[in-house]
Amino acid sequence: MELLISSYNYWIYIILMMIGLYAMLAKNNLIKKIIGMSIFQTAIIVFYVSISAKKDATIPIIEHGKGHGHSAVISAMDYANPLPHVLMLTAIVVSVGTLGVALALAQKIYDRYKTLEEDEILEQLQEQAVSDSVMTSSGCDNDK
Amino acid sequence: MIWSFDLLILLFMVICAFFVIQVKDLLGAAIVFGVYSFLMCLLWTEMGAVDVAFTEAAVGAGVSTVLFIAAVHRSSRQVKPRKRWRRPNKAVGLIAAGLLGGVLFYASVDFPDWADPSSPASTHLSPYFITEALADTSVPNLVTAVLADYRSFDTLFETAVIFVAGMAVFMILGQKTKESAQVGIDLTGGYEDTIIRVVSRALVPFMQIFALYVVGHGHHSPGGGFQGGVLLGATFVLLAISFDLKMVLGRMSEKKNLLLANTGVLLYSGIGVLSLLLGANFLDYSILHTLLPSTGPVVARSHAILGVEIGVAITVMAIIILIYTNLSSGGTNEKGL
Repeated sequence: MELLISSYNYWIYIILMMIGLYAMLAKNNLIKKIIGMSIFQTAIIVFYVSISAKKDATIPIIEHGKGHGHSAVISAMDYANPLPHVLMLTAIVVSVGTLGVALALAQKIYDRYKTLEEDEILEQLQEQAVSDSVMTSSGCDNDK
Repeated sequence: MIWSFDLLILLFMVICAFFVIQVKDLLGAAIVFGVYSFLMCLLWTEMGAVDVAFTEAAVGAGVSTVLFIAAVHRSSRQVKPRKRWRRPNKAVGLIAAGLLGGVLFYASVDFPDWADPSSPASTHLSPYFITEALADTSVPNLVTAVLADYRSFDTLFETAVIFVAGMAVFMILGQKTKESAQVGIDLTGGYEDTIIRVVSRALVPFMQIFALYVVGHGHHSPGGGFQGGVLLGATFVLLAISFDLKMVLGRMSEKKNLLLANTGVLLYSGIGVLSLLLGANFLDYSILHTLLPSTGPVVARSHAILGVEIGVAITVMAIIILIYTNLSSGGTNEKGL
């Protein structure tokens, strides 16, 4: 029970990470793959944030009046660790940037192939490669 | 730190994540993903990471969902079943996920106990930040102090990454022929709702004032440049959804957005160069007290953090608007969602 409470949350992050990785590899739709990437990202972010938590600690904002003039000593035990918060705060905002780039690429792919399904895109690519090789009659593989 | 409450939220998150990847309707997937983000933001508030939760509420639950909807709207909404068993994708996915999970489960035995105050992450560097930040920078919000002062190099380059991401979206979608922009489902009919228009027009000024407060008051309360910038960008996204893209682009044209995105990064690095010119290290703000009247080195750091946050906010706002306008219109900036 003690072990369960002290580390069950890590196991749940691992499950989230596995769901994300599975979606990235096995899903056929490109938007689903991007969602999988986002789930994977958030699993890592939530892991970082959770290692900043401390028992009986409050949010990392020092209340007014404390510490000015060194009347009260600030104890590191009383505040959650701000460093992982900073790292993950910027990571979240960067993740929306990368999400935008991924969705833009997906949109460009849709405009060209009129589909977001991986197998249909591969089919069209292979057809194109075959017709290209017939046209140039050199038999080169443009798929690679 | 209530472990049963955390367990409940985490279980909901796993259920949401499972449904997001299983549901066949992509619009539904986007909404469930928004729910997932919102649960996560609840979890972080409970863990004491208020700044992160604020960012996630604005970015993950808000802007990301809108971007997904914009992308789904411009492409196809339904997931088609796989036609042929081209590659054993499912087996590869299961094996890879299983392997990763197995290794991580094995490693998780050695992790420090959750919320242990003497865990390695909380013992080396972070006690210095907690005990000294107020005396060093006179900023009570430790996250802001670490973000914009101790780790300002990191934040500068994160801002640059956002700038680059915005430029990438602009370049991928910006060069587009007219005929290819006609694809997608037409959702514009029936969306001209008077109530939505009036309410969003009335709310936008207050949202923008709140966003400016979030930027300016980031020293003392949760918030700062990233959150405020996202909120400012979100107000324009709201206008673009409830009215149309033309109205937003009339106020914030693409050229203006690009200019603002540059300005933000330049403001941030300019403060760094200024401290370099005054003889200190790059981004060492304490030297700026020679320029600012009646401030000591400590207060100068506090003021410079505000300047840096404003730079971050301007860049983030411009890039959010840029990504949304390009994604929702397929780069043409003609007709949005």
